[in-house]
Amino acid sequence: MSDRLSVGLNCPSCGGAISVTEGESTTNCRYCGSTLYIEGDNGVGTVVFKNKLDRDAAIKATQVWWRKGFKARDLKNVGTITEVYPIYLPFWSIGTRVAGWVCGYEERSTTDSKGNTRTEKVYKEEMVLQDLHYSDIACDPGDLGIRSVPNFSGEASFEDMDMIPTFESTTSHDDAIANAKADAIERGRESANVPNITFEKFHVLVRKVSMIYYPVWVVRYTYQDRMYMATVDGVTGRMLSGRAPGDPLYQSLAVTAGTSLGGLAAAGGIITLISFDSEVGIAGVILGLIVFGATYWFFRHGSEIVQGEFPDRKELSMRINGQTMMDRIRGLRI
Amino acid sequence: MAEIKCPKCAGPVQFDAGTRFTKCSYCSSQIYIDRSGALFYYAIPFTLSESDAVGTFKRWAGGSTKAKDLDKLAKITKVAKKYFPLYMFRRLIDDREEVLLEPAASTVLPGLHQLKLPGGDLQIFDAQFNTSGAEMVQPDIAMTHYLTTLPGNAKEQSLVYFPIWELEYQFKGNTYHAVVDASSSEVFASTFPIRSSVAYIAVSIAGFFAFIGEGLLATVNLLAGTALMAVTVAAVFVASLYVARRL
Repeated sequence: MSDRLSVGLNCPSCGGAISVTEGESTTNCRYCGSTLYIEGDNGVGTVVFKNKLDRDAAIKATQVWWRKGFKARDLKNVGTITEVYPIYLPFWSIGTRVAGWVCGYEERSTTDSKGNTRTEKVYKEEMVLQDLHYSDIACDPGDLGIRSVPNFSGEASFEDMDMIPTFESTTSHDDAIANAKADAIERGRESANVPNITFEKFHVLVRKVSMIYYPVWVVRYTYQDRMYMATVDGVTGRMLSGRAPGDPLYQSLAVTAGTSLGGLAAAGGIITLISFDSEVGIAGVILGLIVFGATYWFFRHGSEIVQGEFPDRKELSMRINGQTMMDRIRGLRI
Repeated sequence: MAEIKCPKCAGPVQFDAGTRFTKCSYCSSQIYIDRSGALFYYAIPFTLSESDAVGTFKRWAGGSTKAKDLDKLAKITKVAKKYFPLYMFRRLIDDREEVLLEPAASTVLPGLHQLKLPGGDLQIFDAQFNTSGAEMVQPDIAMTHYLTTLPGNAKEQSLVYFPIWELEYQFKGNTYHAVVDASSSEVFASTFPIRSSVAYIAVSIAGFFAFIGEGLLATVNLLAGTALMAVTVAAVFVASLYVARRL
């Protein structure tokens, strides 16, 4: 451990003062011309996006959002905005290139005119080469409902940095890179589209690591003594996330529609199955169950409408052996 | 803002919590701020007032998994404003930077042993910092206790005070605790009165099977099937509206 907090930067070969800007990983000494490698900051550059929104625009966006979707019908009249302020959120933004090979096979079943089903293996060998962008919030998002950079284009400017409270980065640079690499491999594998993989080999190059400070407007509002929070993108003015009260009427309408349509689809499926013994019948029953399940979920949890990436968000996921219901339906040969 | 001496001209240089590189305003030399040998004190300012915290708690208590009308029926018996301390270590372990969080005070409060640092605008905690009347929870675990056992080499170590509202409430004779993170509005609770899904499931399942039956019936007797369906639609609607409002 050194005993000094500040480190003056001198050229190790000639002792001259050197000037470095954030984000550089090499520099040249302007006195002796030596090329120097900078270790301290791992070459992370900082980008600050300029805030384009004002208070009124953030309020307007929230009020428009109140009217959309299945939110409480009286929210637009009863909801009171109590606080509106901008913050800068830190994000790791990592550009990667993934290159590799995926080998494997796909099983295809065909039924000929005599009704015999044959399954054949179609061998596949896919090359992967992609440039990707990964982003992840660099602090704990708490209840903000934001995890990744809303968009990568915007005017860069440091001028608001002193005016707007800035959330500090509290996560590790190397963890972010490791996550970016894992994400690149995952996305590379997906892009190859090989259902059964027998061999794969990927290389991930990290091209650029930067810290993006992105302006986000926080809007707090009250509805029947409850305090809700929503966030608005400070560059595009889009709603990013938020919680809002739901409406029992919509919950009730949803479950009424869901049980009737779902029940009838299932009944239709059963009849088809009995009289024609066709797979269409099974699809009908499954479709009925899905409609029923989805509307039940909304009935049970629709008292709060949530938009954004929240850790406690209740997602409707019915997975069987890793396949979603929708995949199963698509997979059925009708 | 904290201050250091410029290593070239010894002039005072100010820097903020997130600053890594800065320029001396007297001699314009570039300075890298090396945090490896010092302990920094940071604090996150409160963004929620007491009424905001109670409102946020009520929003949480009105959620679909909590007992019906918990937001209206919970009687809040205690509200305390506190700064809770946490150690944050940034270390190089096998050439990888890792951030390690360790508790600085022992607690039984929900959420605070999950060891995460809520997002916030870290500010240097010194004599000028305005604690806005919050009780400072004193660290009772010394940092040296961790420093001697942590792996790798130090890059930065800090004690971070993060803002919380501690709430105690009563519901049906029982006392519960919740913590509202006053920077990012997250609510933590280990136990809370839950809502049963039974009524929701019963209405939905009954409606679904009634429609399957009536759908089958309609193929035999269209009139009877349709008439029964109309009755079921009305029944499911009324029952579900009652459940969604009251249960």
